[in-house]
Amino acid sequence: MQQMNSIVAIFKDERDQGLWAAYLDGISALWSITAHEGLGHALERLIGRGIDPCLVILSSRLYPTEDPELVARIRGYFPEAELLLVSSSEEPSPPLLPLCADTVRHLAVNSIPGDPLGKEYFEGVLQKLVAGRPWTIGDCLGSRTGVRSIDLRSSNQKEGVVGALEAAIAGVGDEFELFRQRGALLADELMENAMYGAPRDAAGEKLFKKGEQRELLPEERLVFSFGFDGETLAMEMADNWGTLDPDLVVEYLARNQAQPGGWDDLGGRGLFLIWRFFDHFHVSVVPGKRTVVGGDLRLSRTLDPEAPRGFHITEYKKGDAA
Amino acid sequence: MTSQTNGGSAGEFDYFAIEGTVDAGSERYFKDLPAKVRQSRVRFDFAAAGRINSMGIALLLRCFKEIREKKQAEITLEGLTPMHAMLFKMTGIFLLASPVAAGANGKGDPV
Repeated sequence: MQQMNSIVAIFKDERDQGLWAAYLDGISALWSITAHEGLGHALERLIGRGIDPCLVILSSRLYPTEDPELVARIRGYFPEAELLLVSSSEEPSPPLLPLCADTVRHLAVNSIPGDPLGKEYFEGVLQKLVAGRPWTIGDCLGSRTGVRSIDLRSSNQKEGVVGALEAAIAGVGDEFELFRQRGALLADELMENAMYGAPRDAAGEKLFKKGEQRELLPEERLVFSFGFDGETLAMEMADNWGTLDPDLVVEYLARNQAQPGGWDDLGGRGLFLIWRFFDHFHVSVVPGKRTVVGGDLRLSRTLDPEAPRGFHITEYKKGDAA
Repeated sequence: MTSQTNGGSAGEFDYFAIEGTVDAGSERYFKDLPAKVRQSRVRFDFAAAGRINSMGIALLLRCFKEIREKKQAEITLEGLTPMHAMLFKMTGIFLLASPVAAGANGKGDPV
């Protein structure tokens, strides 16, 4: 009998496995294996037991550098499974260009030791990947935190929305000031992307140029939402274009990461900054229907420009919730 | 955004003070700026600059590349907030221009 909704986690060795033990502890229907004893045999054993995972977790100590073909092999065994690459925050970010080629759209970076929200967040990611549910802005906010949603009608609203977000982050001192600036930049980039990146014609060409003043088209809907619970600031930008290509997002992140200084010639600069400035970055796309770009950042976490960052980019078929 | 252009006390450098938000609306300013450079050293003061978004970063990169390539000038940046410094580090601005720390006399010293 096949076991659905199970998760397979593949690590390099016991030491690698141990790094993630606390995160995976208590996860039901999880099969954790190591590659050093022969990955092929281990996977064959799982198949022999009727394991058909909906999610395969891969360690960055194996992929993409040490075993670049690993994703292709995994897909040979489990073609329907979603793939999640996991990487340690204490190691350099894995190179992202191979992830583009292999359409790996989920990367999780473990949190600083002792951070309970790290495990909580990771468990939430697994639950959503297994259930096929998108991240929502409320997922990382305190239960009684209000979320403010603003329907945008014009590009002229941007500064007002940024100001409202800054005002919501009540607090004084350098820590709060830097946090407000991070939040303001993220809001700016999210709205710029939705205003000027999302609207496309049938040939995929942009309809509007950055910097030009514009009103929304009659059927166009852009909603910016944010909430702050005193520690976590979460925000998202939803549009009803659904033109963002999930694979292109990973490619943008990879190319901008690989070519610092080549930035003026590269696309996706705004998405790259959004990814770098959020602690957690999520994109969900229903092609032709809806795109939601969002994430959260935490006041207590200092921003290290070079620290590895995760992302979750999910594509849903039309008709799915997103 | 506004700016001012001054020679140094000994006419040794060009000085540009950047004010306000740097974004798509700053395109004309940064496109025209390299033509104003006369000296082999250029100082940009960001103390009065506000938010710099991805379009602003792209404009700065293009501007700085042109100054370095066509004017053969060295660029230093002063008055950076921690936010500016983070942004510039992660986007490669510091590969083209060096940050300076404010010294006791108010003049910038290379960091």
